[in-house]
This record gives sequence, structure tokens and C-alpha cells, in this order.
Amino acid sequence: MSVKLPLLLVSAAIAAGVVTTGPSLDRLDAYLKGTAGAAPSQQLALDDTQNADLDGVARDIRSMQALPPKTDRLAPDASIAPFMLSQADPAQRQQPAEDTVGGTAEQAPPPEVDESALRYFAAKGDTARLAAEIARLKSLYPNWTPPADPLAVPQNADRQLEAMWQLYSEGRYPEVRRAIVERQAQEAGWLPPADLVERLQVAEARSRLVNASNLKQYRTVIEVGAANSSLLNCSDVDVLWRVAEAFAQTERPQRAIDAYSYILTNCTNTAERVATMQKAASLLPYNRVQPLLALEKTADGVREFDSIRDDLARRFVAEANDAPTLDIAAEYVERVKQLALAEGPASDALLLGWYYLRRNDAAEAENWFRRAREREDSEPASQGFALTLLEHGKPAEAEAVLYRWRDSSDDATATYLAATANLLALDPAPVIADDVLTRMAQTVIAEQYAPSAQQFGWYARSFDQPQTAERWFETALQWAPEDEPSAYGLALTRQQLNDRAGFAQVQQQWAERSPRIAELAQTPRTTGTDNPAIRASASRVAAVQPGTSGGSPTSPRLPETVAPQAQATTVVTARRTSCSGRSNPARLSPAAALDNGWCLMDLNRPLEAAESFEVAMGSGDRRIEEDAAYGQSLAYLRIGLTDRAAVAAAKAPMNSSRARELQASILADRAIQSFGSDRYRETLLFLDQRTQVQQETVDLMVLRGYSYMNLKRPRDALRVFEAAAATGNRDAVRGLADARAAVGLN
Amino acid sequence: MKLGRTLAAIAMLGVLAVAWPGLAQQGSLPSSLWQVYKERFLDASGRIVDNANGGISHSEGQGYGLALAFMADSPADFEQIWSFTKTELMVRDDGLAAWKWDPSATPKITDLNNASDGDLLIAYALALAGSAWDRRDYLQSAAELARAILEHAVVERGGRTILLPAVEGFDTGQRADGPVINPSYWIFEAFPVMALLAPSDKWTKLSRDGEALLESLKFGPRDLPAEWVSLARQPRPAEGFPAEFGYNSIRIPLYLMRSNTNSKALMTRLLKSMTLPEGDLAVFNLADGSPKETLADPGYQFINHILACVNEGTKIPEHARELTSEFYYPATLHLLGLAYVVEKHPSCL
Repeated sequence: MSVKLPLLLVSAAIAAGVVTTGPSLDRLDAYLKGTAGAAPSQQLALDDTQNADLDGVARDIRSMQALPPKTDRLAPDASIAPFMLSQADPAQRQQPAEDTVGGTAEQAPPPEVDESALRYFAAKGDTARLAAEIARLKSLYPNWTPPADPLAVPQNADRQLEAMWQLYSEGRYPEVRRAIVERQAQEAGWLPPADLVERLQVAEARSRLVNASNLKQYRTVIEVGAANSSLLNCSDVDVLWRVAEAFAQTERPQRAIDAYSYILTNCTNTAERVATMQKAASLLPYNRVQPLLALEKTADGVREFDSIRDDLARRFVAEANDAPTLDIAAEYVERVKQLALAEGPASDALLLGWYYLRRNDAAEAENWFRRAREREDSEPASQGFALTLLEHGKPAEAEAVLYRWRDSSDDATATYLAATANLLALDPAPVIADDVLTRMAQTVIAEQYAPSAQQFGWYARSFDQPQTAERWFETALQWAPEDEPSAYGLALTRQQLNDRAGFAQVQQQWAERSPRIAELAQTPRTTGTDNPAIRASASRVAAVQPGTSGGSPTSPRLPETVAPQAQATTVVTARRTSCSGRSNPARLSPAAALDNGWCLMDLNRPLEAAESFEVAMGSGDRRIEEDAAYGQSLAYLRIGLTDRAAVAAAKAPMNSSRARELQASILADRAIQSFGSDRYRETLLFLDQRTQVQQETVDLMVLRGYSYMNLKRPRDALRVFEAAAATGNRDAVRGLADARAAVGLN
Repeated sequence: MKLGRTLAAIAMLGVLAVAWPGLAQQGSLPSSLWQVYKERFLDASGRIVDNANGGISHSEGQGYGLALAFMADSPADFEQIWSFTKTELMVRDDGLAAWKWDPSATPKITDLNNASDGDLLIAYALALAGSAWDRRDYLQSAAELARAILEHAVVERGGRTILLPAVEGFDTGQRADGPVINPSYWIFEAFPVMALLAPSDKWTKLSRDGEALLESLKFGPRDLPAEWVSLARQPRPAEGFPAEFGYNSIRIPLYLMRSNTNSKALMTRLLKSMTLPEGDLAVFNLADGSPKETLADPGYQFINHILACVNEGTKIPEHARELTSEFYYPATLHLLGLAYVVEKHPSCL
């Protein structure tokens, strides 16, 4: 019975650090022999003798492994050490090597080189394997001299052994195993050639490693690799790739780099080296790949990775697109640019579009997206292009570009809806073609997108179509019941329509939550818009009332993406980043700062919002500046800094409705503050100014009444309270009673 | 490392059978029968082919193949089967065997999950062969596998130590009515060997609780265990499986008989419940106790011949001593039964 086979396996296990404890196996022996209860002392004695034997065995292993002396290397080129793989840390990694060398290499007898495989391959005329075998034996035994004419080596006289080699060469390892054991049973003392045993072991290990790798069992891959270092060399780069992958996939990138570095340092096959670089780039992050690229070799002025440089550049730019904070070398971006300019595929231009968009360079991004679409219109190209158009305040173009692709992906839908909201929110309200309005409305209804429904409301109002506006605000509230701006729009519109009951209903629902809704007086509005241009196009919006456009919003549902918007003119963008407020607004682009400002307003953080709007005000873009001034003014109003609000409102020219709204808010605040300081004449002055721009709300009428009372003008107060009390306002009713008492009516 | 002890074990083979009647024995399976089995089910690649199941292979089949090769005293066949098992199935990161291998698929492993009975059989056979034939590598692999089973498939749930049928998909939290067990996965004869390979008192508990469970699992008018049993609350047939006494369960009495457990009454009761009046075994619908399928294959029948001999001294009929089963599963049960008779009741032949 051979002991070599198991010993080889055991030694492999030692190298892998997977040796198991002995006691249980011994107990099994004892169990099987019926001596499970043997006295400990007896066992101990046995153990000692066995250990002594094992030392001898270990010496045999060392001489079998026959490490070559360090001098006299005949074939240094063929003796590249295999890749050292261990799961242990470097300190432990040294252990097996020391064990193996053991300081006895010098005394070891000269190894007997097993040439049976050589003879077999020679007999078969398999020159490729013959050459590989010669190289392998040379690396194992540097002192060995290969036969001058290997083909002339006499073939194995041993027919059975030849059959084993035959099975081995056909990859029929289980049958080789079987044949070896069978022969050992027949021929007492027969030992298989160590070479065959070792090759078989390695071949099986390779199969197992490949199987495990295909099944993503990376721990097994690494264990098997660690236990079979002879697998890990340039003759089988595929195994090295699989080991590297196993490391990369188990978050040990440095170990993966070790393996790739080994190949690029030691192995010479150019195709394999190039493939190694590609695999490394696909599995490792950009920064980890760069040192590997430095291992590139140049022959006759040609760099070996030139054939894949374009693909590497594309890969790196794509990686940078997924990680906006990743800085990649400019040469890669430049290379992709050259590709895109030189009639490369649309995907190259697309890569660059995203690259610049993610780096807040919308102008450059727009160029590349435009180019990508020219080369080949696609959903991603149109999506990216539309995003840059939105960044540039061109929502009409964005809508037109994306309409065709609006259903292609969730991202495309989101961007399209953002374009509709932005387009409708333009100020002054743009004239939009009927067919465009209709298709926008259809999509908004189909997607139940509340922000655009709300904008449709404001849009209708700006064309003096309150009935249409009312329908849209109602629809927006169905989809987003907590959307205060829609409620505000609805209240304003019902007020305008003299719909007292409807108005009261909104006020009742919202008064507690929304001061501005609470402040709206239910007084018939006497003046509509008198802009003739607006009147002329007034018929347009009617065509797109919700409910008449096909998809009736019968089953309201709150879309997940809906965020309450601050005001009628809020700019909505897809991919809006969250406004934690932690980032310094000064670092934001004006458009982003504006966005951030509105977002902070939504979070009711007006002070930070005002700072963000301040950044946006330096944009140079009239529209952004106006939005920013408006936003900042609202922000200051919200924290009661009325004077600042007034200053902000004057920072940029504003369209009349916004200007009126701001002015009204500012004057109302000032009136309230004056009243609080007992300055009643001033209060009346502010209120009078305010009525020039907006009708007085019930609350302010009450304020006016009490101002009259404090100025000893009870008859004036009585007149105001009578009008206000007609709305049922409690304060007004109480004021009326006070005024009546003052004039002696009670 | 005590290589010499293992060598010494060869000389002790005779002692083995006498001292430990629960363990399978080398040489208990006549080589002529093993030869027939090999020709039908062993592929040259070293895989046992389940010919009633689309020609696939699985860890259970490899485990049975190894165990039978050991009983037939055929180290060469054992080596061949193990070479396939090791390289093709022993690939999981946790050290257990992937259970399902399909020659027509890529990769060949079509289900990476393990099957705990397959793992037990492989570890058991490796341990016996490694000890008998001085194969330290077998013992090494057996110990690693036993440890992996203990770590990943032997768990305590609801006060019982149970064998999860697989690492994925059966435990509490993996399915609504988990844990779910398969009582036929308890290979009682293997547990004492596992306890030596991977010392733990859990093996004893597993064996004891398995017996107790089998005693208690009485579903329907025939008082038979369900093939898949939910232990989430009171044991009951698991959701999503037919509520039946199925093919898997047929081997329970054989496992009990072969084991060193003291469970003759239980085994006799089960055998009686699963046998039709005409003497055939069957798959039963648990709800009404009706037979779903009669199992006329002689491989299934063999267990009743054993019982007849043990209880009444009736010799095993000549025709039942040949391997006539054409399909892998009943043929396997047949040989396990025959080996048992050779080991324990040679007078029945």
C-alpha cells in the first residue's frame, strides 16, 4: 500500500493551512478497532511513537520535493516560481517554505527525475506537451539535462502505465485513479510514478477550482489554489485569472492585484497579458488598475496594451460617470473625445455627455448629448440631452426631445414630467402649441404627476381661465393631498370665481396649516386680468382640462416622486439631489443653488434657503435671477424680516403677478408689525398701500377695523367689521360687536 | 498525525464487526451483485446515474455508491466514485456537497444547495473506507465534511436537535412553516461515526430526537410520517409538498434496521403501516390512508423479506437474492438490505 499518495494530499493541506486536528481521526480508529475506551496513557505512548515515525515521513517529503540548490541554475528562464498564494498574512505565509527547506536541501540526495510522462508524450509524437513537460521538469530540477532527442527516448515498456497516461491525457481522471488502485491491489508493492500522482492531483484540483469558480464559490477557489501552488503559473493563466477574480469578488483587491501583477511581471504571452489587463479593469476600481497598467511592456516602440487603450478609456470614463467624485486622468477623457469626434459610435459621445453632466458642466454635456443624438437617437441620449436643456432653462426643447422616449424608462418618464413642469412654470407663461399642451396633459394625467398638474393650474390662471385652473388644482390635490401650493392655487381660484362654498371648504381644510390660505379673504374679486395679449390666447388652455383629455384621473394615487413645491414658479428637475443644506451653496452652480433654495423652503429652513437664493442671484441668467430674488423675498417674509424681503424683491425685475404677490405680502407683514407697535396710522397706511396691489383679506380687514377703533374712528371700524363679519370670521364678528358698542348701537 | 494507527486499523477489521454491530462492513456486499449494480448505474466518469430521474447525478447517489463500493470491498471503484464526487460536487464554500448534477447543463451543477442526507452518506462512506484502507485523505475529507454538516445542517429548534434537509430553504425564517424536516434524512448508522469525525454531543441528541420524532409522527389513519414535516408548531405535513408517505420515506425502516438504535418496535410498526394486504409496499396519501402508488419493485420489497426471516426464520427467497431492480433507487435499497443480511443474519441466506 502506497503511503505517498495520501502524504502528498496531506502536505498540500498543510500548505493550505487547512490541516485538521488529529484526535478525532485517532478516536475513529480506536472506535473501529473496539478500543474507544483505551487508557489515556496508552494512547499517549502510541502517539509518541507515531510522532517519531512522522518525523521520518516528513524528511521523506522534503527529499521527495527536492528543492533545487540556489546555485548552478541551468535554465533560469524556465524556472519562474509559481504565484505564492496563501490566505494567511505574510508572516504566516513564510511558514511552509521554512518547513520545506528545513536546512537540509544541501544534504538531500540528487533527485530522481521521473521521465515517464516525457516518454509517453514522445511516443505519442505530442510535441507541444513534450515541450511543456521538458520545461516543467527543468523548472523542478534545474540540474536535470533533457535528452538530446526526446523523440528518440524509448517508450514505456509498462503497458499498464502507458494506459494510465493515456487516460490522463484524455482528462479521464477518475479512471486513472481507479486504474492505480486496481494495480496496487494486483501488484503488491507497486507504486505509481510520483509524477503521475502529482499531475493527477493537480489536474483534479484544477477541475474542482474551475467548477467552484463557475459557481462563484470563491472561498473554495482560493482554498484549492492555495493548496496547489503548482497550478498557479504562466502555463495556466486561466487559473490565475480565476483566483484573482475570487479575491476581487471577496473584497480582497490587493490579493487580486498580486495575482494580476504576477502575470504581468512573469508571463510572456501577449494575448494573455492583454486579457489580464482587461479582466483586471473589469473587476477592480480605477485606482487599483493604474499600477497594473504601469507593468505594460513596449516592444519596437509599440505598447502592448495599445489595442485595448480605447476600451480602457471608455471603461474608466464610464466608471467616473457612476462615481462623480472619482477623478480619472485627463488622457482617458481626451481619448474618448477623440473617439467620439472621429466617427466613433454614439455611445462614446454619450459617455462624455454623462461625464460632464455629472460634473456640473451642462454646456459641455449638452454638446456631447447633441452629438450622440445626431449619430443615433436613443433613449439615454435624449434623456441626457433633455436634462442639459432643463439645466439651461430650455424646458420646451427638453419636452420636444424627450416626448418620443417618455415611456422608455423610469428615468425618461421622470425627466419628461420634469420638463412639463418646468415648461409650464416659465415666466412669463409661454404660449404653447395646442398639440403640445394636449400631449403634456395626457402624460401628466397618465402618470398622475401632481407637480405638473399644479403648474397647469397656474398656467391656466395666467391665461385667465379660472375654471380650467380650478380643475387642475383639484386634480393635483387628488394626487398629492398634502400639496399646499395646489391648495393655495385652488383657494385663490375659487375666490376669483366667487365660489364661496368651495373657497370656505379649502380654507377650512388648510387654514391651520397654511397662513397664506388663512389670510385669503373671501371677497369677490372685481378685477380680472386686463392684459389683451393674454385674453387673445385665452382659448388655448381650455383644450387640456383634466378629465377631457382621455385619461381621467378617477383613481387618485399619490405618486412617490411628488414633493410639495414652494410656489407656482418652482423649478422642478429630475434627479434632484436632496438639499440637506450641509453643502456650501457657494459651491453650487446658480441653477443648482436655486433648486437647493426651493428645496430648503420645502423643508421650512428659510434662512438657509435665503443664502442659497443669494448664490443663484449672481447667475447672469435673467430667469434664474428673478426666481432667486422672488425666492429670497419669500424666505425673508417667512422669518419675518420684512425689510430684507422688500430689498430682495427689488434685486431683480419681476413679472407683475409675482411682484404684486410679494408686495402684498410685504405690506401685510409691515401692517401687522406696526399694529403690534401701536402705530395705527402707519398700519392704515400700509393697508391702504396694499389694497392697491391686492384685495384685502378678512384678517387684514379685522386689523384695519381695530386700527380705526384705536384711532377713535368707530364708524369707520363699524363699516369695515360689517363687511368682514359677513364672511363669518369670528374676529370680525367680535370686532363688529365692539364697534357697535362704541357707536352706541347696543 | 497518526498515520501508523490508521495502518494498524487494517488488521483490526475482524474486530470491527463484532464490536460495533451498527456499522457497515467491508466485504458484506457480494461482488457479483456490486458488479451488476456498477454496470447499470456507475458511469466511467465516477458518477452514479439516477436513471429514473433523467440520468442526473446527486450527492445522495454518490454517497450510496461510495458506501456500497466500501461494502463490496472495492477500493478501485470507491476511488473512481470519490474522484468525481470531490471534483464535481465538493465545491461549495461551506464544505458541503452541491446536490444536483445534470450532464446536459452548463455548469453541470444545476442546484448549488446541499442535501444533508447526501452529505452524511459521503462522510460516512469516506470514514469507513479511510479507516479500513489506510486512506488518510479519505479520513481528512470525511472529517471536514462532518464538521460542515454539524456547523450548517444540525440545529436546535424548539428544544429538538434536528437535521435541516439543506442549508437553504427549510429553516425557521427561510419559509413560513419552517423548520421543515425530512425524517428519511436521518441516517442513524452514520451518527456515531460523525461524532468521532466532528466530536459534539449534538450527534447523540440528533439521533435520539430523530427516533423520538419518528415515534411521534403519526399522520392519517395509517399513522405514517409525512415525507416533509413542518416543526413550526405541532408537527404536521409541510406546506407546498404532497401530504404523503412518499418514496423518500420508504427507506426509514431500512435505516432503523441497519442502525444500532433500539427501535425494533418502531421499525416493525412502520413496516406494517406501509405494507398493503397483498404484501406490496406503497406510497400513501396521508389524509385517507389510501395507496397512491404500489411499489412492486423487488428492491423495495426486500425489507419485508428481512423482517420475515428475522421474525419467523423464513429464508430469503432465491429470486430476491439477485439484483433485478432496473432503477437506481430501489436497486440501492436492495443492496443495502442484502449487505445487512450478510452482516447480521447470514443464516437467512
